[in-house]
Amino acid sequence: MTAHAPDRVDCTLPSHPKYLPLLRSLVGEGSALAGFDKDLTTRLLLAVTEAVTNVIRHVYGGATDRRVDLAMRADDGELRIDLVDYGTFIDPKHIASRPLDDVRPGGIGVHLIKTTMDRVEYRKNEHGGTTLIMEKHAPAPTAPSEAAHPIEEPR
Amino acid sequence: MNVTQETHGTATLFIVDGQVDMHTSPELRGHLRTALGAQTSPLAVDLTSVSFIDSSGLATLIEALQAVGKYGGKLRLCGLSPEVRKLFDLAQLSTIFDLRDTRAEAVAD
Repeated sequence: MTAHAPDRVDCTLPSHPKYLPLLRSLVGEGSALAGFDKDLTTRLLLAVTEAVTNVIRHVYGGATDRRVDLAMRADDGELRIDLVDYGTFIDPKHIASRPLDDVRPGGIGVHLIKTTMDRVEYRKNEHGGTTLIMEKHAPAPTAPSEAAHPIEEPR
Repeated sequence: MNVTQETHGTATLFIVDGQVDMHTSPELRGHLRTALGAQTSPLAVDLTSVSFIDSSGLATLIEALQAVGKYGGKLRLCGLSPEVRKLFDLAQLSTIFDLRDTRAEAVAD
């Protein structure tokens, strides 16, 4: 059995929202490499969009000429995305999301990230900014029910 | 993203094509605000050709819903693809908006 190396892509983009579709294309390909289905891919595209949007809006104050790094590693049933910014580290305790039943514009990005990803971790990076680590694992396959596939007793 | 505007009786219909996110939602907001300023009702947004919408796009629609409510008007959305419907569900907004299957239903008086 040969060792299987995960697919890894590193990219650097300006903090301009016009690059969001490009990032979504990249993450969509990563999701396919990880073997995720369409439904999960849709959720991942939203989560990563929300994460990058938060960096542009809240870390860079809307500045479009800053730097955002994205490192993506895709393996069978697993996708990890590290999002690196070069702003000021924000303590995760100060990153809040409002309840969804409080319907008003904005403020749900963090909620959407946390409900999609299996791991969401904010770390202070060597540039003084934040590295957001997001991981998603394929859902465990559901065992076929006995009703759907009855087990025959040996005769 | 491209936005086309049509008039159907008293209704104003916006046909949105593309992806709605932080980059494109200001343009959609501009179109909607013009119609909201004229207190148009019903206001319909056809999302048939929208492949993706993020919280910025959803926030734009929530703003429109709240604004139309202030003058007693109606906002209807139609043509949500399964992917876009999923995004509405994730944000728990599917029951907040008046979602219609067809454009004809969305622009009806």
